[in-house]
Amino acid sequence: MRISRIRISNFANFSDIDVETGDSIVIVGENKVGKSNFIRALQLILDPGLSERDRQLGLEHFWDGLGEGKLGETIEISVDLTDFTGDPRLMAHLNDCVVDPGPPMVARLTYRFQPKANLGRDPESLADYEYVIFGGDDPDMAIGSSLRRMLPLDVQVALRDADKDLSSWRNSPLRPLIEQLATSLDEDAREEIQQQVNEAQAELAGHAEVVTTAQRISDRLIAIAGEQHAVPLTLGLAPTRVDALLRSLRLLIDNGARGVGDASLGTANLIFLALKSLELDRLVTDGERDHTFFVVEEPEAHLHPHVQRLVYRYFLGGAANDQEDTPPLTTILTTHSPHIASVTPIRSIVLLRHDAAEDATTAVSTATAPLTERDEADLQRYIDVSRGEIFFARGVILVEGDAERFLIPAFAEALGIPLDMLGITVCSVSGTNFTPYVKLLGPQGLNIPHVILTDRDPNGANPPLVRRRLINVLRLVENGVNYTPLDADAVIARAEPFGYFVNSNTLEPELFCGGLAEAMQGVIEEELSINQATRDLIQGWVDDTDTLDEERLIKLIERIGKGRFAQALAPHVDEDTCPDYIRQALEHIRDAIA
Amino acid sequence: MPLRSVSAAYLAQAADLASNPGQQAAYDSTGHCVVLAGPGSGKTKTLVLKLARIMAEDVRAPRGAACITYSQECARELTRRLERLGLREAPNLFIGTVHGFCLRHLLMPYGRLADLPVPFPLAVATQRQSDQAMKRIGDRLFGVGHPNKPMDLGRHRRSILDRASEAWTDEEELAAWAEGYEAELRRTGLVDFDDLVIFGQRLVSEHDWVLPLLQAKFPVLAVDEYQDLGVALHRIVKRVAFDGGVRLFAVGDPDQSIYGFTGADGALLQELAERDDVERVQLQLNYRSASRIVSASEMALGEVRGYQSNDPDRQAVIAFVECNDGLEGQAAHAVAEIIPAALAAKPGRALGDIAILYRDYRAGDVVAEAVAAAGLDFVRVDTAAPYRKVALTSWIEDCAAWCAGGWREARPQLRGLLDRWIGFHRARISDAEARAELQSLTRLLWSLRVEEGLARDFVAALRAGMLDALMAAEPSVADQREQVDRMSAALALGGPLADLDLASLGGRDGSPLHLNLLTLHSAKGCEYDVVIMVGLDLGSLPWRNELPAARRESRRLFYVGLTRARDEIHMLYSGYVDTRSGRMHWGRSPFLNELEARMQEAEGD
Repeated sequence: MRISRIRISNFANFSDIDVETGDSIVIVGENKVGKSNFIRALQLILDPGLSERDRQLGLEHFWDGLGEGKLGETIEISVDLTDFTGDPRLMAHLNDCVVDPGPPMVARLTYRFQPKANLGRDPESLADYEYVIFGGDDPDMAIGSSLRRMLPLDVQVALRDADKDLSSWRNSPLRPLIEQLATSLDEDAREEIQQQVNEAQAELAGHAEVVTTAQRISDRLIAIAGEQHAVPLTLGLAPTRVDALLRSLRLLIDNGARGVGDASLGTANLIFLALKSLELDRLVTDGERDHTFFVVEEPEAHLHPHVQRLVYRYFLGGAANDQEDTPPLTTILTTHSPHIASVTPIRSIVLLRHDAAEDATTAVSTATAPLTERDEADLQRYIDVSRGEIFFARGVILVEGDAERFLIPAFAEALGIPLDMLGITVCSVSGTNFTPYVKLLGPQGLNIPHVILTDRDPNGANPPLVRRRLINVLRLVENGVNYTPLDADAVIARAEPFGYFVNSNTLEPELFCGGLAEAMQGVIEEELSINQATRDLIQGWVDDTDTLDEERLIKLIERIGKGRFAQALAPHVDEDTCPDYIRQALEHIRDAIA
Repeated sequence: MPLRSVSAAYLAQAADLASNPGQQAAYDSTGHCVVLAGPGSGKTKTLVLKLARIMAEDVRAPRGAACITYSQECARELTRRLERLGLREAPNLFIGTVHGFCLRHLLMPYGRLADLPVPFPLAVATQRQSDQAMKRIGDRLFGVGHPNKPMDLGRHRRSILDRASEAWTDEEELAAWAEGYEAELRRTGLVDFDDLVIFGQRLVSEHDWVLPLLQAKFPVLAVDEYQDLGVALHRIVKRVAFDGGVRLFAVGDPDQSIYGFTGADGALLQELAERDDVERVQLQLNYRSASRIVSASEMALGEVRGYQSNDPDRQAVIAFVECNDGLEGQAAHAVAEIIPAALAAKPGRALGDIAILYRDYRAGDVVAEAVAAAGLDFVRVDTAAPYRKVALTSWIEDCAAWCAGGWREARPQLRGLLDRWIGFHRARISDAEARAELQSLTRLLWSLRVEEGLARDFVAALRAGMLDALMAAEPSVADQREQVDRMSAALALGGPLADLDLASLGGRDGSPLHLNLLTLHSAKGCEYDVVIMVGLDLGSLPWRNELPAARRESRRLFYVGLTRARDEIHMLYSGYVDTRSGRMHWGRSPFLNELEARMQEAEGD
């Protein structure tokens, strides 16, 4: 089962959002944009731990944009569920909640905080409000606590208390495992343990020094309270009853040298997650739950980036790799870690963004972006940690390769457009296939402003390659245009208003001719050991850029590595040497996010 | 371990089944099972234990079982017996009528999605609204005083489901009347009880997606009194069981099919029982009747069933009694002679162990007058009864039983009363609302406990306290409200039940001190030491010139009457009947002639 759609209106940061979602949900967004409130909204419907009082909201929970007009408004939150028809137990739970017989069949659960039904007048205070949680489209179909108990939303708030939870027996996720262990021991095993512990105890307690110390304590006790009141004392390791012994088992790390309390926060968090995961398995196996919506808020806290990726690949991707035994689990994360975003299934991103005009948070998702299976696979493969940043960006500059990735920020700085401060990310697509990225970032996807920088790539007598490339992208953003009669320049002209900019040739020769010849000469001579003839050749190019042998120049740069070369060149760029198409692109994206 | 909310009380009782192979086989069945259960064969016990076992072993909430039975009264009896096994009605256990099932579990959740041509939210017409619409349309179509009967209209709607078929259009007037009547109901935003089942059937027949949803919620469907349920339910059952994978446990006795006039047909159960994918179990042992009564009943039926009495040595009385003065004379004889003798014949026998059975309420009036004149207390169950048994009136009666002292021994259980109260709400209500309502209800019932008091005061207090508010707020109980009003009217000063005390209201059926007066139809499912059947003359049972099918049903009605008796059957006749055109000497019932001849033949051997 999965959540396929979430709608929230008039709640917290949200005026009215309606977002479709994928198998798992990874909520990304800036601080204070409402990630926790998004989770809170789901809790109002599905968290069995919330009390009636928690569900009776306050004025502060209404969307602020309502201003003085909050009383009289209704808060409504609904989740659509789908892919549950394979499990008759889930179907039985959701029987009265179906809103679309499908296929795929869709069931809906709704929380509504509204003026009381039989009020007969305008509400005067929140005392005139009530909440209802109902299934389907009929508010009379109230949903009771049993559904929430069996299909709970289980929220792990930012895991900073893992250590405390592990050390208290009552809340410890270790407890059910130990209890299970205690009941699974047979009589023989219990007796054996008992005997071994007794022996160890006897040996320790029999040591003369131990006996003496115990005696000293006993003597003082008698001196204080007299023989009558003093209880007999010995020193021992632990209570020797088997059940008490088992309960005193603790997780140890470093081959038993230290307790988990001494572990780093990261380790404690990891252990906590492992135990939690086992507990989720157990609850389902024992029939105490039929599905879990497992929410982890900001899981990156205290985890090393590598570990973040591993852990969340386990929670987010585990199901996909192992269709046979899909756990009845929907994982929901909030994060601002690109490490986690980079392992997120591409369809799972829900992006929350503040819309200043509306003074509300809007939500978009990748679930229904028009990606083909191949696009999806490509993106999944290419989105690494640095490309993961695009999910957090307010604007994205898509470029072909590493050269641009290092040089564009340098030019931006030279032009007084501080990319980091503006939240603009430069993302290399490692090639020229921009289409999946535009689908992902475009209006049907995450709707993040973006520009493209690409090379003209002349192709002999044929039209330059950029023509076809741009047409593919333009088809995604404008309808009903016949490109056949348009030549390359006409296509390029069409593309510019969309933020797609093309140079006249290839980046490096263009820079060389645009005023960076000497700087580039310096980098080449520093990075490569080249003979005098080559030096002279380069000097010739520098003296008269019209003599430049572009192919030869690129070969030389490729020997250094385009990325490394660009990194070395970056400190030398300035406003005057910035090619026009780069300047246009930077200004375009700056204006788009303003 | 998974949590079970079902007690293991059924296990102790199930041990008893071992001595009865049929009952044991039904109890052990794991697939579709049809139980053909002769009279007194412990069918209800088997069904109840099987349901308890299914709830404990085969399903786990939220999945569960639905048990559909013929009437509200049957449902109440099942609920009562399940309660004794620690099993209460719960969201995953439905016990009720086919109408209730179609409303709550088919039309309410799926009717809108399937775009059924009925007005939502569903509002069920009261009997009055339905009667009026029927009359209005009938008068408009055929003129005032037309000969078409509402009963035939009902039968036509219930038994012919395919509106495009010739069978539907052949009865031109009925078809036109039915269509006009339905349109009239829709115009006023209503459906009637038959609509619930007709559209329930359409829903499961035409929409495949309903099947897995239903199977998910109710992987097991039990049907009691199958022979009395019509062809619409039969189609629902076949569709969900054989296309939808719902496991079927059907119980019934085609020989006791006596509701043909409503569209019911005993042959439908036979059809199920003969399928290859259905286990057929026959219950042969009769725990109720003495041996002679068992064999006499078979002779009356004219079929060999091979039923055996569990107690072959028990003495029986089978008497053919001719009385003068027609029905009045028969009633007088029963009161003056048979009842005193029967009471004296066995120590401890009380009026409640005796029943007088008759064909219709007109005969009931005659009998009631004679019984009242003799000063005997009685309970009367027929259409002339002061109010009909519906879920709400039954609930009021059970509350009366609890308040009149039942609370001491938890009979009935308060929890069950509270659950049923929640069940009256059209849809699930929120936990908080439910808690608040139950607190008020508990407080109210607790305050209404009295040792002795009038039923009138109790019902008035219950209505004023909570019931009237419920009936005003819940459109789905509108039709039941009519019966509650009739109950109040009957209890009011000057009404027929004005002096009824609280305990008697609570114990209105099964009261040991009240003689039972019932129509043969109402007697189904009941048993008495002594059964007195009156009016066994040609022209009454059977009617004169009945067509073969009707004649067979009359014979089954006679059979049902006979098989109610444990020890004594008294068959009273006069040899003539009084009709509109005067006294007709058509002789006694031919069923008596046959029976007497066959008994003589058998006992002569």
